[in-house]
Amino acid sequence: MIRFIHHTSAITVKELKQLRRDPVSLVLTIMFPILLIGIFIVIASAFSAPSHNVAVVVVDLDESPASKAILDKMTTSRFIHVTRFVQTEEQAYQAVNNAQAVGAVIIPRGFGDDLASGHAFIVVQTDNSKLTSSAFVVSAVNQGASSVLTEIRLGETGASLGAKLASVEVITRPISGRPPSGDTILPGFLGMIAILGAFDDIVNAISRERERGTFPRLSLSPVSLFAVYTGKMFATVVLTVLRTALMLVIFTLDGIVIRGNLLLIFLTTILIAVFTLSLGLAISARIRGSATLTVLEIAMTFPLFMLAGTMNSPLLLAPGGRAIAASLPWTYGNDALRRIIYLGTGLNIVAADLLILFVSSLVLMPVALILSKRTM
Amino acid sequence: MSVVFFLRDSIAVAENEFRQFRRNRSAILISLIILPFFFTASLGAGQGGAGTTFSATADIPIMFVDNDNSLASLRLLQTLTSSADFHSLIQSYNEQTAVAALGTKRTYAVIVVPKGFQNDLAIGRQARVILYTDDSEPGVSDQIESTLSTYVQNFNPNLEVQTFLTALQKQSISQVEIVRKGAIFAGFNVGLTIVLAVVQIFAGFYEIAGGMSREREEGTYARLLLTPIPIGSIVLGKTIFDLLLSVVRTFIVLGLSVYGYGARPNTDIVTLLALSLLVALVTMGLGFVASALKMGQRAVVIVEFFLILFLFAFSGLIIDKELLVGVSQVIANLLPFTYAFDALRRTVLLGRSLLSLTGDLQYMIGSCIVFYATAFILLLKSRERLIR
Repeated sequence: MIRFIHHTSAITVKELKQLRRDPVSLVLTIMFPILLIGIFIVIASAFSAPSHNVAVVVVDLDESPASKAILDKMTTSRFIHVTRFVQTEEQAYQAVNNAQAVGAVIIPRGFGDDLASGHAFIVVQTDNSKLTSSAFVVSAVNQGASSVLTEIRLGETGASLGAKLASVEVITRPISGRPPSGDTILPGFLGMIAILGAFDDIVNAISRERERGTFPRLSLSPVSLFAVYTGKMFATVVLTVLRTALMLVIFTLDGIVIRGNLLLIFLTTILIAVFTLSLGLAISARIRGSATLTVLEIAMTFPLFMLAGTMNSPLLLAPGGRAIAASLPWTYGNDALRRIIYLGTGLNIVAADLLILFVSSLVLMPVALILSKRTM
Repeated sequence: MSVVFFLRDSIAVAENEFRQFRRNRSAILISLIILPFFFTASLGAGQGGAGTTFSATADIPIMFVDNDNSLASLRLLQTLTSSADFHSLIQSYNEQTAVAALGTKRTYAVIVVPKGFQNDLAIGRQARVILYTDDSEPGVSDQIESTLSTYVQNFNPNLEVQTFLTALQKQSISQVEIVRKGAIFAGFNVGLTIVLAVVQIFAGFYEIAGGMSREREEGTYARLLLTPIPIGSIVLGKTIFDLLLSVVRTFIVLGLSVYGYGARPNTDIVTLLALSLLVALVTMGLGFVASALKMGQRAVVIVEFFLILFLFAFSGLIIDKELLVGVSQVIANLLPFTYAFDALRRTVLLGRSLLSLTGDLQYMIGSCIVFYATAFILLLKSRERLIR
């Protein structure tokens, strides 16, 4: 047993030494987290920018005080930029069709009277090939109308417009108590870092060793194959701990309050990494070139962004997607990370998630070892 | 005569590439199976087929607590349970217990109808419904809130059967209906434009830059450059090889999308193929430039990974370029792939013809020429260095 531990630690140290001597891999290990966070910052800054210049053309066919009030709100919206006032609906549609504007807002004749009678409508023509921009246009129009209605409710403009009101409002209270923001995806990013990092470790640990011709030498040394793999796994565990620590520092700098137990976060990322490593080992038994393996792993990683709950909850996927998500152990890892970081959930709640990851690794690891041994 | 020789040499290079490709099972697996099938199937799994519709909130367990116990609150419950959006509504009688269940995965939201709900509506005052959500699930809170809002904003306590809400009405606020015109596209069709381009970029870059770096690592690169074959023939031969693979990939993605997931691209196959190949050509041009920079295979893969991530952030894949700010928008405007994604969306979704996309096409063709010319010059210099 002591010999096994000695051999395992020797392999772990060897792996870490090799990584230190390989600047490309070392940079990659550090760059993964930083690059992913960089992308998140670009995306988040786009959504939270103080103003946007989404071009919109407007037609006011009513020219009533009500339509003017709504147009006033729209022209001051931070989402859209009213580029032109046109005279006819056709001109407005033409502007959208010719890509001169993302949206056209048409206030129909009789809008003011309809509003007074309790139900009016506004026509919004959007270029829906631009997904986010067209949603911004609709949101801006909604906000404009909503803000006019609020003023009516407060009695500021109600008398002049003569609109009737009575509705039900939904008040949302998130249990984490955080303001709604885009950073709900950050724990999922931490999960992805663990996956990508572990995939890269397996490339370094097995494929490159095979390419250099040192793998047969290693397996012919008096160290047991189990100790070799355990040592490589421990090296990945050490690197995962470092990557997780780096990510948590970035999260803290980004202002995220980590509510859960830090050890539980580390345990989750380690389990994600160990499962990924097991899968990587199994794949590397068949695909031997390091570059090919890296391409394959990257190709597999991108769909995981969608299917393993990194960007969006798997609950929102189509039924088939939900079934796939439920069969991927990574989904449980990402889920556990979100709960620990945002809700401060303890081991009792995430135990099932961690158990799924652990059991999956336990099943896959021997399979990977057998496959790997066969190909020697 | 020189043109004939040039073409003959190019075809010889292409043949050599195909022979190598045929012998490499991993390359076939990645290029023609994993990339096109895996990406398209993942899109289909996530978004559902183009012809299928599903309610994202229908199967999410949500608790309903009625603290008002009035006819109005009962009608609200009836409205929600009979809708297509709340199939998993669980009635609870204790607000505290229901809220405590959040975060345990037994429920993801709690709808509470407070005392006085009916009274507020009766006297024409704005009534309230409180929604507690498990916001650790990204997107779920917003989705439940927006779906619930559409029902309660149009809720009439005096009606036993509520007015049916159309998809358009669901996007409106109560007194002012926002009638959206302009085609609404299935998530799969939108995703198809992304998958088609990403598959070509992913595969094209790896095949060209990775192929050249493999030749360098195997020692055949120098031999290839020093043969009497002109550099142009080498570049053209490799381009022909990869263009043919790109055609196969395009058909695989489109075939799977149309026949497997019911996608209906709003354009003809020739336009789609032309755009797909143009994206592949731009990527190949970039691949040749990268390969002329003496990158190793592993470095190529790393650059490829960063390239794809870069495109996700800056080329309008996640956010339209109009919404990017400052330097991000400048980068987006400079990237030829931004125009490629734009052109694909305009043709696949809006049904525009190629002729109406002259701006996008000009930029892509221009970038292609710049990349190829740069690669040609760099490879020429590389050959001169080898001769010396």
